[in-house]
Amino acid sequence: MTTTTLYLERTSALHRLNPVTKLVALLSIILAVFAVPHWWIPLGIVGVVIVPAAVLGRVGGRLLRLFLILLLPLLVVLFIIQGLFYPDGSTVLWEWGLAQLTTEGLLFALTIGSRLTALVLGSLVFVLTTDPARLMSALTQVGMSPKIAYVISASLQIIPAFQARAQSILLAQQARGLAIVGSPLKRARALLPLLGPLILGMITDVDERSTAMEARAFGATPKPTSLIVVPDPVGERVARWLMFLSAIAVVVLVVVGVIA
Amino acid sequence: MSGSREAHARHPFHPRGMAPHVIECKEAFMSSTTGATVDPNRTRNRIFVTLGAAVIVATYLYLILAQPTELAEGGLGTSALIALAGYLIGAALIAVGAIHRLPTATLSLIPIAIVINIAVGQLAATLGLPVYLDSIGTVLVGVLAGPAAGAVTGALTNVIWGLTIGPIALPFAVTAVVIGVLAGYAARLGMFRRFYLAPVAGFVTGIVAALVSAPIAAFIFGGATSGGTGALVAAFQAFGNSLLASTTLQGLLSDPLDKTITFTVVVLILFALPGRLRSRFPFVRQYNVFGKVTPVAPAEPAAPKA
Repeated sequence: MTTTTLYLERTSALHRLNPVTKLVALLSIILAVFAVPHWWIPLGIVGVVIVPAAVLGRVGGRLLRLFLILLLPLLVVLFIIQGLFYPDGSTVLWEWGLAQLTTEGLLFALTIGSRLTALVLGSLVFVLTTDPARLMSALTQVGMSPKIAYVISASLQIIPAFQARAQSILLAQQARGLAIVGSPLKRARALLPLLGPLILGMITDVDERSTAMEARAFGATPKPTSLIVVPDPVGERVARWLMFLSAIAVVVLVVVGVIA
Repeated sequence: MSGSREAHARHPFHPRGMAPHVIECKEAFMSSTTGATVDPNRTRNRIFVTLGAAVIVATYLYLILAQPTELAEGGLGTSALIALAGYLIGAALIAVGAIHRLPTATLSLIPIAIVINIAVGQLAATLGLPVYLDSIGTVLVGVLAGPAAGAVTGALTNVIWGLTIGPIALPFAVTAVVIGVLAGYAARLGMFRRFYLAPVAGFVTGIVAALVSAPIAAFIFGGATSGGTGALVAAFQAFGNSLLASTTLQGLLSDPLDKTITFTVVVLILFALPGRLRSRFPFVRQYNVFGKVTPVAPAEPAAPKA
């Protein structure tokens, strides 16, 4: 699984935490960050909580790389669009044709950008430090349907096999003269000879798979025993409720107008 | 399973719609393959799905109706929070409620569809195509196994996308759910009986997808979902449109085209499949999705004009 998912296997306190605790922490952070209308709160949380958590989980380097690949381009585009073309900007700092650099636009971009940064970096730290198999076990233990766990785990396991099959179909079709270079239209036309065999193979597989699963009574027991039992100490359970309730408190305070 | 096929084959013709024997056939299939139909949580799951749909509709309406006044006050207000929370909760409720109705055959189809979504989506991106093509698997499952299965595929695709490539697309989970549900209903209405009807269904799905995802693109991403689409949003804003109007217009330019192509690809693939494979899915037989008697019945004596 380590090759297909972003998860990095390390030994750290963050890795040892129950995945549900980390998930609740992430959701609480997102809730609070999107409720409070100040741009410096999300950035503060990134600086004080998310980045230290990444360092503690020993995934700081990877987080930085993913930030540069995934998030930075979006932030640049965001500041260009909203900084220069914000519709309700009145304080014009610089003007060139239709483009107007406005204070309001920059502030808007800063608000959206800081929230987006907290959302994406927080989720990345969660994904980088949480083994998907352990996550599924922990979620099933707290009541998630084992069917969801099955679909997610099966998808993650199929990805490498699927890529190998797609690669061999591509090679086979190329050997028969399929061109995969040229104009976008030509390349698009190359998709169909790839997809046909791929999907045909997939539907044939499904039958075997479901027969095998039913032969082993998949879904017959509502609460199946788990192979991996994730420890869930009382302290973490209390912490989950505290984090969740404080996030709700923040939202309520914002809605009634105490934090403005 | 074999029993239901025989029951099916005995009928000399197969009128479109829900003829009584088709329903019998479906029930025979369900009871012979899974015990899951006798679900004690059935009412709870119905409530989940209904509630999820209501939350999504309410979120969209609130964002459309309340947004202009809030932006005029010079801030984002609660729009971003409501867009994120409302859509995610709605999508999760629908997925959780829908997954319990699915028989094992459908459940084992979904992971493969998810991988198709992700693989083709990435392929389209690396080939530099101007469309996303990231919902082929979702539409395929919707057509073969119904709206509930399509919804689950859409929602979980975004989860897998988050675990493997990056959690950027996760807020758009609701769009994937809507696409899966609409593909299922399009199949039920018979839009996959003729190959030229499927693109029409794709176009309509694209319009709905564009409308639903516009608030996410506006309030969570500020219009910056990627370089190309961002340029379009900037252009629309420069001509005096509001942010939400700009992301809606941008979506309406790209989504209907993308979904038309996706539905066309899916209908071409499905028409190329042997009927024996297609008719393995109870949903396909129950609603006569492909219009012909595709199962084992060898002859089709002068079927009434469908």
